[in-house]
Amino acid sequence: MITSGVGARYDVELRLPADGAYAAVLRTLTAGLAARLDFTMDDIEDLRIAVSETAAMVLDEADEGADLVCRFRLEPGELQLDCSTTSAAPTKPDYDNFGWQVLTTLTTDASVEATPGHYAVRIALRSTLDTQ
Amino acid sequence: MTKEATQDSGRSAALEQTRRENLRLFAIFRDPDASESERSAAREDLVHLHLALVEHCARRFRNRGEPFEDLVQVGTIGLIKSVDRFDTERGVEFSTYATPTIIGEIKRYFRDKGWAIRVPRRLQELRMQISGATSELTQTLGRSPTPREIADAIGCSVEEIIEGMESSNAYATLSLDATDDSDDGGPSMLDAIGIDDEALEHVEIRESVKPLLESLPPREKKILLLRFFKNMTQSEIAAEIGVSQMHVSRLLTRTLEQLRASLDHD
Repeated sequence: MITSGVGARYDVELRLPADGAYAAVLRTLTAGLAARLDFTMDDIEDLRIAVSETAAMVLDEADEGADLVCRFRLEPGELQLDCSTTSAAPTKPDYDNFGWQVLTTLTTDASVEATPGHYAVRIALRSTLDTQ
Repeated sequence: MTKEATQDSGRSAALEQTRRENLRLFAIFRDPDASESERSAAREDLVHLHLALVEHCARRFRNRGEPFEDLVQVGTIGLIKSVDRFDTERGVEFSTYATPTIIGEIKRYFRDKGWAIRVPRRLQELRMQISGATSELTQTLGRSPTPREIADAIGCSVEEIIEGMESSNAYATLSLDATDDSDDGGPSMLDAIGIDDEALEHVEIRESVKPLLESLPPREKKILLLRFFKNMTQSEIAAEIGVSQMHVSRLLTRTLEQLRASLDHD
């Protein structure tokens, strides 16, 4: 558990080529971080799926040769991920989308930001232990 | 004679018969004067005689993701080895001698052949410890354990658990052109790869998801519904359906990938 100081907050950043081949790296890193935050095994499995969906959504919008910028914010019992890319003309988020349904079910919070030149999906997950 | 002994007398009579048959067959099998065909017939009969022992051993490993028939098959190799090596002079029961060999063979199968990708033995053993500790802790805690709790139970570090979790994803990999288990053959992984996702955003998904859900195999559909509509955790689903949580996780991931792929085809 991350215990240095009450309410300690840590940030982790990862920049990857916006290419599906790197999605596994993001998944692995996320699982590793969640394990250190004392998420349960079930939470971590959910997180893997949620991160896959997030990455899939962002990759769809990425410009040619763009980067995937992943910013994690780690708080006790909570993990937030802001996954963004450069996107000249991002499509409007479709909240009826199957992937989006999956994402909102698995996360405690999920949002999309689509502005010209920028596309980001943000998700937050709380550990089951923390909400009990 | 005690009460239990009376109750068991029927069973022990059968055991006694098996024992006598066993001795008779071994006598032929080991007889230097017996013909080659007599000896090989005795060997075959011995294997058949003790096949129930193999099934008994294989049953203990049934819930580990490998087909029961496959386990019986590898266990039988252990049985054949035991028949060939058993020393009747030793004075131990054949079953006492054969059981460790049969179980050893089944375990080796899990260790060496069960893995789709070669994973170092240390990690394979760690994975088994993790899945054992996970189900045990899920029972005692009444919820899914954290990696730290598993690490404490096994006596290793959280880092090692994370490593083990990663390696567990290599236990069952899918062939790229493998379809699902149903006979009519759904879309394969290959169909899900290298396709343009752009149209996905524009599809009126809610309408198209329905027929896709209907086309899923019953178990996959149930898992999906339990997870996303009843909001059950993977462990709860595992308990409800009677498979391991790892298995639920794999099925769920695969189903979602299939749905994504199918959506894109329409």
